[in-house]
Amino acid sequence: MIWFLLIVSAIVLFIGYLTAISSRDLIRLLISLELMFGSVFLALIPLFTSMPSSAFGVAVITIFTSSSELLILIIAIMLIDKKFRTISVDTISAGGDTID
Amino acid sequence: MDYLVLTLGIATVLFACGVLLTRDNLYASLYMSATLILIATIYTVYSLQSVFVLITFIFVGAIGIITIALAATYRFTPARKISIYWLIPIAIVTVILAYTYYLYSEQMGIVLIKEHSFASFPTEYLLVVVFLVSLMALLMLSAIRLVRGESS
Repeated sequence: MIWFLLIVSAIVLFIGYLTAISSRDLIRLLISLELMFGSVFLALIPLFTSMPSSAFGVAVITIFTSSSELLILIIAIMLIDKKFRTISVDTISAGGDTID
Repeated sequence: MDYLVLTLGIATVLFACGVLLTRDNLYASLYMSATLILIATIYTVYSLQSVFVLITFIFVGAIGIITIALAATYRFTPARKISIYWLIPIAIVTVILAYTYYLYSEQMGIVLIKEHSFASFPTEYLLVVVFLVSLMALLMLSAIRLVRGESS
């Protein structure tokens, strides 16, 4: 069944990609990123067949780091909304900062 | 067990398609949370309940709920536009992944893990936990600094 899990993981990853490139607001971009991380979690299952302890360590690190990254992104979205009064992707096309 | 994994996988793809197809951010976040819970459920089929708990509690329970709250706050249906140039790297990644899956998918098979993964984890687990807590603290401190800098 490994081929099926990997195919499902790839499909979810590409759905996340398509959602990311078709999104015009940051919330949808955040959702697509979480979907991509979900596909990574799914692709991690075959690693448990050969190295279960290491795979569990990788899973713990992946879950914690991705959660931290998404939490920072959520804070950034809130700050961008506070500053620009919009969450459109076009707002951050130049990084969201202005160079004086 | 194969039929269970097949059913869960198909349901995962369907819910992920819901994220792509729905135009409301709130429903997209709900579909995303359901997709992640289904992915975590596939772990339990292979007796990996500890990873299920981690994904469900931390990823869905914390981040997913905040995302749902944000999506409920900014609930509108924005216009969509797909850039053709962004489809090129996706096509390249598709070809690479398909070739890799073709090479390695028949060489491995999934076996059930009998022992409890959490208990069999090496003693360096505490060190990893310390590193992760430190990482979280650093990220939170940087976030607080961002917010304070913005308010001042």
